[in-house]
Amino acid sequence: MRRLVTSSLLLVLAVAALVAPAHRVEAQDKTTEVPLTAANQAFSPAELKVKAGQPFVLVVTNNDPKKAIEVENKDLRIEKVVPAGKTVKIRVRALKPGTYVFVDDFNHAAQVKIVAE
Amino acid sequence: MGATFVVVLREGFEAALLLGIVYAYLAQIGHAESRRYVTLGGGLALVASIVMGATVSVLSGPLADIGPDVIALVVIFGAVALLTWHGWWMGRHARELRGDLQRRIDAAHASQQLWMVGLIAFTGVFREGAETVLFVWGLMTQLESVSGWTALAGGAAGLVAAAVLGWLVFQGGRRLSVQRFFGVTSLLILFLAAGLFSAGIGRLQSFGLLPGAEPLWDTSWLLDDHGSVGGFLAGLVGYRARPTALEAAAYVLYLAGASLLFLPSFFGRGAPRNGSVVEPAAPSRI
Repeated sequence: MRRLVTSSLLLVLAVAALVAPAHRVEAQDKTTEVPLTAANQAFSPAELKVKAGQPFVLVVTNNDPKKAIEVENKDLRIEKVVPAGKTVKIRVRALKPGTYVFVDDFNHAAQVKIVAE
Repeated sequence: MGATFVVVLREGFEAALLLGIVYAYLAQIGHAESRRYVTLGGGLALVASIVMGATVSVLSGPLADIGPDVIALVVIFGAVALLTWHGWWMGRHARELRGDLQRRIDAAHASQQLWMVGLIAFTGVFREGAETVLFVWGLMTQLESVSGWTALAGGAAGLVAAAVLGWLVFQGGRRLSVQRFFGVTSLLILFLAAGLFSAGIGRLQSFGLLPGAEPLWDTSWLLDDHGSVGGFLAGLVGYRARPTALEAAAYVLYLAGASLLFLPSFFGRGAPRNGSVVEPAAPSRI
C-alpha cells in the first residue's frame, strides 16, 4: 500500500516536473498568438492561417455570456473548455501543412478551419 | 435535444461503466457493504467537478490556461495507476477464489484495500465531470426558451442513459460467475487502462512535451473515432483512428506489461482449476 501511494506520488511529481518547466519556457519565448472568437454558435474568423512547422498559441475568447464551449481537435488531442465570457490560451504544436478543423464539442455546428502553410 | 443527449451520454459513459464494474466487483467479492466507499468516491467527485467547473469559470490568466491541463494529466495517469493496481489485485484474488467459491477474501485484508476502490470511482467520475458540469450549466442558463428546455431534457436523458448503462454493467457483472466476472473485467480494465495511458501520452505530445506527434497510420476510412461506434470504442478501449507512434507503442507496452500482472494464471504458475486447494498465498499486503 505504502509503495503504491509513494509511486503514485512520484508519478504526479514526475508529471508536474514535466509540465512546469515547459510552461515556464512558454512564458519566456514569444510564441505567435492567434486570436479566435466564439459567439452565437460560431467561431470567427471561420478560417485561420498559421505557419506550418511552428507551434502557436490559440487565444480563444468565448463571447457567449452564458454557454461554455469546448474547443476540440481529436487528431491534435486538444480538448479545452472555454467558460462563458472567458479567454483561454491553447498551445498548439507545430503542424504539418494542411487543414485542421476544430469544433466546439458542445455544439458541433461551430467549426473553425486552421490552415497550416 | 439529440445533440445534448449525445454529449452528456458520451461524457457520462466511462464513469458509468467504471462505477458499474466497481459495484459489481464489491458484490462479487462479498463486500457489498463497502459500496459506501464507491458512493462516497463518486459523490465527492461530483462535488469536485462542480467546484472545478465553478473555479474554471472564475479563473483567468495562466491558471486557467494551464491548470485544467495539469489536472487532466494527473487524473489520467492517476486513473491508470489505480486501474493497474486494481487489475493486479483482482488477478491475484481470482486465483484464490477459483479454488473455493465459498471462500471469500479475508475481510480485514480486503477492507484495507477497499478505499482504493472509492478512489477509482472518484477518478472515473471526475475525469469528464467538470466539463459536463460546465456544459449542463450552459444548458440551464437557457431555460427561458422552449429549445432551452428540450436541450436540458436531452442532457438529462443522456445522464439517465449513462446511468442505465452502468446499472446494466452492474447487474450483468453480478450475475456472472466469479471466475468469469474477474476474467471479463480484468480484460476490460486492461484495455481501458491501456487506452487511458496512451491518451495521457498523446496529451503530453500535444503539449509539445513529448516528440513525434504525427499519426502513424490512419484507419478513419474503416472506423472513424468521431462516429458513434468509433467514439464508443474510443471511450471503452482507447481506439484511435490516427494514433501517433508513441501512443501506439504506449498502448502495446502497457497491454504487454499489465497482462503479466492481471492474468497471472495465463503465465507462470497455473492456478488450480477445481477443488479447494489454494496454493500458498503470495505476501498478502502491498
